[in-house]
Amino acid sequence: MTRNLLKHDSIADFLEILATFGELHGPVLTDVGVSAFRPLGPGIDLLLDYSRTLVPPKKYLLPPRDTVLFFATDEGYRQPAAAVPETILVGLHPCDLQGIAYLDKVFMRDRIDPLYRARRTALTLIGLSCEPDEYCFCGDLSATETHGCDLFMRRSPCEFHLRSNTPKGKAILDRLTPILAEGEPLPADSRTCDMAAAIQQASVRGETFEKSALWDEFAGRCLSCGACSLCCPTCYCFDIREYGALDGETTMRLREWDNCLFKDHGEVAGGFNFRKSRQERFHYRYQHKYLGFGPTRGIVSCVGCGRCRVVCPVGIDLLELFKESEDEKRP
Amino acid sequence: MRNGRDMTMVPLPATIIGRKELSADTTLYRLTLESSEKDRFDFNPGQFVQLSVPSGGEVPLSLAGPPLLHYSFELCVRRVGHVTDMLHHLLPPNRVGVRGPFGNGFPLSEWTGRNILLIAGGLGIAPLRSLLYALLMRRGEFGEITLMYGAREPSAILFKEELAELSGRRDMHLFLTVDFATEQSPGGLACNTGLLPTLLRGVNFSTTGTVAAVCGPPALYRCLLEELQGFGITAEHIYLSLERRMKCGVGLCCHCAVGDLFCCSDGPVFRYSQLKGISGAI
Repeated sequence: MTRNLLKHDSIADFLEILATFGELHGPVLTDVGVSAFRPLGPGIDLLLDYSRTLVPPKKYLLPPRDTVLFFATDEGYRQPAAAVPETILVGLHPCDLQGIAYLDKVFMRDRIDPLYRARRTALTLIGLSCEPDEYCFCGDLSATETHGCDLFMRRSPCEFHLRSNTPKGKAILDRLTPILAEGEPLPADSRTCDMAAAIQQASVRGETFEKSALWDEFAGRCLSCGACSLCCPTCYCFDIREYGALDGETTMRLREWDNCLFKDHGEVAGGFNFRKSRQERFHYRYQHKYLGFGPTRGIVSCVGCGRCRVVCPVGIDLLELFKESEDEKRP
Repeated sequence: MRNGRDMTMVPLPATIIGRKELSADTTLYRLTLESSEKDRFDFNPGQFVQLSVPSGGEVPLSLAGPPLLHYSFELCVRRVGHVTDMLHHLLPPNRVGVRGPFGNGFPLSEWTGRNILLIAGGLGIAPLRSLLYALLMRRGEFGEITLMYGAREPSAILFKEELAELSGRRDMHLFLTVDFATEQSPGGLACNTGLLPTLLRGVNFSTTGTVAAVCGPPALYRCLLEELQGFGITAEHIYLSLERRMKCGVGLCCHCAVGDLFCCSDGPVFRYSQLKGISGAI
């Protein structure tokens, strides 16, 4: 028996203790009725039974607009000093944790991005059992549910079972002990998803669905709004823009979220476009998401959160590609 | 790392030390890094840099000069967008920023003993000029060296004086062609009229044990690659330098993927055999 049970009536104490470790952020219902990761504080209710936020937690690691360089005539280009406050992000579903684990691979494995690393080091991740609905399709949860988060909250009907996975999580759990009750550790949630398995198999085959008629169908409907990529927890492609100040002496270089569904994504100087058609842009997105580029080759970066299926204004669903191929296999 | 700064992330200050107009819209710049008293700037032909014009932004540019100038390097830039337009207003000793060099470059050490055919279309001469000088610096290691260079019209031929000099060399062959001849021979250079594939069919060059290095607009690749294979040069021995809009240069920003390869870090030089079957590669 260990003290790892968090009763629902202790949630306020729980959050109060968490807030001593850093700025506390978590999912809340905003006044426009959207679930979003926001700072928590007095009078702001943490959502513990939400399906998904609109914008994924990648915004904490890769802000939509991020100053990467300053320029001044006398000192040239300089990286900004990274002063990042300790932040505790509580209430992340396994899919979002997996999204962050994927971004860690991109920005901290072969080539370390100093801004990303500074933010990631200052971030404590507290996971929460998933709330599956008809939109999501993550894979076998039992193996990787916690995806390297510091502390995980597994829901049971009356309480949460807490488990720490890292020294950071252990330190937090130690401080929480006074408000926890004794309980047996819960076995990990077990749930498998046929769609996730189909995606994995297609990825291993290097499937490109080149001949599918769906590409034309998607392209015919797509508005190139880019919502699918914007709200994707693993879409990270960025544009670099430079903004000169009016003094003519200083400038800022910003890294901004870009979008492979936008027409100018594949354009080069002089206007030639390597991905002029929407079909080509869909193929590019598919390739990146399910087959991977460069060092992420072979890694499926779709985490099954379902956001792209929820937000697409014209109901485009890349999963239809996998469904179509599964249907074809059946006699 | 130079002076404790990561040159892949932060542009180093560089000074424009030379500027030569090559055509109405294209200029050759010679730059030197300000820390160059201590450091050399060496690269492989085919590699590129990210050039920053403060308050304008950054663009990927092929290194166009000999690889071993050590303390300086050359860029051949067409005035075609926001940043290159700002660059064209700069003069020596104005300062810009440089990151790099990035990418793989041409694998010269694998070409020992081979005949080498360089085919450049338009601004594609930039990386191939660098390659040609690198080959000539190690002339004894290679067989026949041939440069075929095509431009839209005589006035668009870049490096005319150098080409005139190269045409007099006995240790290489030079063939020029223009799509349209509206004037007499450019700067006294012997020049054909017609597209590069026509030139390729019409002149003699060694086709055994030959590697081809090609750089030009996508339209050039489409019509030239079959021709080259028709001469018995296999896809394995045809090297292409691809253009993409690399924003980061280090395989992060995801603008330049070609199939599952990044043009910036796996390329920009690819064997044609790597690109076959990748839709949209060329």
